[in-house]
Amino acid sequence: MSGSPKLAVQFDGVSKLLAGRQILDKLSFDVRQGETFVIIGYSGTGKSVTLRHMVGLMPPDEGSIRVENEEITTMSRRELEIMRRKFGVLFQSGALIAWLSLFENVELPLVEHTKMSRKKRAEIVQQKLEIVNLWQDREKYPAEISGGMKKRAGLARALALDPGIVLYDEPTSGLDPVIANEIDKLINRLKREHNMTQIVVTHDMDSAFEIGDRIGMFYKGSMIQIGTPEEIQTSTVPEVQHFITGGREGALSRRATTAIIRGVAPGMLSQRSLEAIKAEAPVATAEPGYVLLSEEEAEAAGVAPAEEPDFPTERDLAPEETEGPVETATQKPEPESLEPEESDT
Amino acid sequence: MNWKDNVISRALKGAGFTFVLLLEAIGHSTQLWHRRRAIFTQMHVIGTQSIPIASFFMLLIGMVFALQVGIEFARFGQTNLVGLVIVAAMVRELGPWMTGFVLIARVGSSMAAEIGTMRVAEEIDALEVMSINPASFVVMPRIVAYSIMGPVLTVVGTLVGIIGGGIVSNLQLGVTWADYLRFAEDGAEALDIYWGLLKSFVFSIAAASVACASGMKTEGGAVGVGRASRNTVVLSLTLVVFFNYLLTSFYRIVKMFVSGVI
Repeated sequence: MSGSPKLAVQFDGVSKLLAGRQILDKLSFDVRQGETFVIIGYSGTGKSVTLRHMVGLMPPDEGSIRVENEEITTMSRRELEIMRRKFGVLFQSGALIAWLSLFENVELPLVEHTKMSRKKRAEIVQQKLEIVNLWQDREKYPAEISGGMKKRAGLARALALDPGIVLYDEPTSGLDPVIANEIDKLINRLKREHNMTQIVVTHDMDSAFEIGDRIGMFYKGSMIQIGTPEEIQTSTVPEVQHFITGGREGALSRRATTAIIRGVAPGMLSQRSLEAIKAEAPVATAEPGYVLLSEEEAEAAGVAPAEEPDFPTERDLAPEETEGPVETATQKPEPESLEPEESDT
Repeated sequence: MNWKDNVISRALKGAGFTFVLLLEAIGHSTQLWHRRRAIFTQMHVIGTQSIPIASFFMLLIGMVFALQVGIEFARFGQTNLVGLVIVAAMVRELGPWMTGFVLIARVGSSMAAEIGTMRVAEEIDALEVMSINPASFVVMPRIVAYSIMGPVLTVVGTLVGIIGGGIVSNLQLGVTWADYLRFAEDGAEALDIYWGLLKSFVFSIAAASVACASGMKTEGGAVGVGRASRNTVVLSLTLVVFFNYLLTSFYRIVKMFVSGVI
């Protein structure tokens, strides 16, 4: 390779057929060392499959995958095991081992792959858990903590062996806007302070623009556009435009229009002031958020109510009209043909 | 392709996967010491925690068995011999496979569900990405613990069953404890006891491998986990009765050889 920036990962003409679907179709892209490369694209189209190929969990049908200039598609199982130590991977759900505490989860790669003393291990675990601000929760088990904490603990574990490349599978999905921003900041900090190569799969556009040095739009098995956040934002490719605006006219920030209100019945909402609702908005929850506003409040906040929510509301379920003029504005709707979130295979 | 091909090829694939997983786990048994904590935890879950339910089962089975045998033996005035039949049956048959059944119901199903949940929650993938082989980290400790605790529970269950039979013989059939124990001694010789333990060991390895393999193969979320758990119970029970027949046939040949018939 003669290119000036060193390459961390290279995909060259990679194809994969899964259950009769061409998931990857001559996929080619490079990730440079030290950059944050964001892969965006619709749910369930193969972004996670791309990550799996990168760490050799799935072999491609054809094509070449090189990690730090080593071809991984021809590696033996043992060679793959060694190669994988270059990677830290944060899975969508955190994928913490349920019967180990957070401390033990982060310690696990150290116990398995190093001959460090217990004291040295504890130091490293403390350092990693402090990065994600979970040291005080080290004795807790995965079942006792929230989704956001699981992701942060998963990140601490991914960092345990100081990998050169960190992969993130939807690091902000299912998190509330405040925690999502924190994860973005963390990713930026890791790049700044540790010069890590980071590859992030996401469909959270705010996050993509915030953290990405380069963004690649994944569509129908290959990259239809790769560019800087500015280039993507001003893209003239129709699919990219459609994706980053969420199918609406003009770019709308998802987080700006998204709030989560818990413990409030729809009928009560009309009696509350917009200020009160705003103050309550950033409540941490693992569920995807939506806004419940009355018509005037929606107007005041500048949120256009969605025409048809894609899930049944109280009004659809109840035979008669509910009392209050309650409008339900869904969060940015996904394109009709595709499933909503989480089912990325 | 007709459905028969499908069923047969799927069964063969499943059997192959299970066998390879078992071999892989055996290959990782060099890490026994490294994984001792996981093994002890599993031994506690599989063995110690199963003692009450296994004992309860075997106690009642021993009691019922004594009653039924007592009814028949009374016709010949041989009620004193109840102990002999109970011990023979408990050691050779009822002990190994009834405790096997109890373990499959209590442990096998939950083992498959646990590993299946790890699979769908990407925990197995996470292990592989961390270059930690799931066959070593997840499967080996479970198979080792199961195959140690299966025979241990069989010993406990068999003893409890014999005691149950004794209680009924004494209280309801009017056999003295001295007679019960005297004939009980004739019910089993060393070979029978070893054979019973061998059976239990084979059942345990089969059930644990099936549970781990079903768990590892799980796909499709909560429904998949349910399916893995159900398949584990059905397949393990089938394997236990099948292996039981094979081992008993083999036992007959060995017994005849030992006693000089062939």
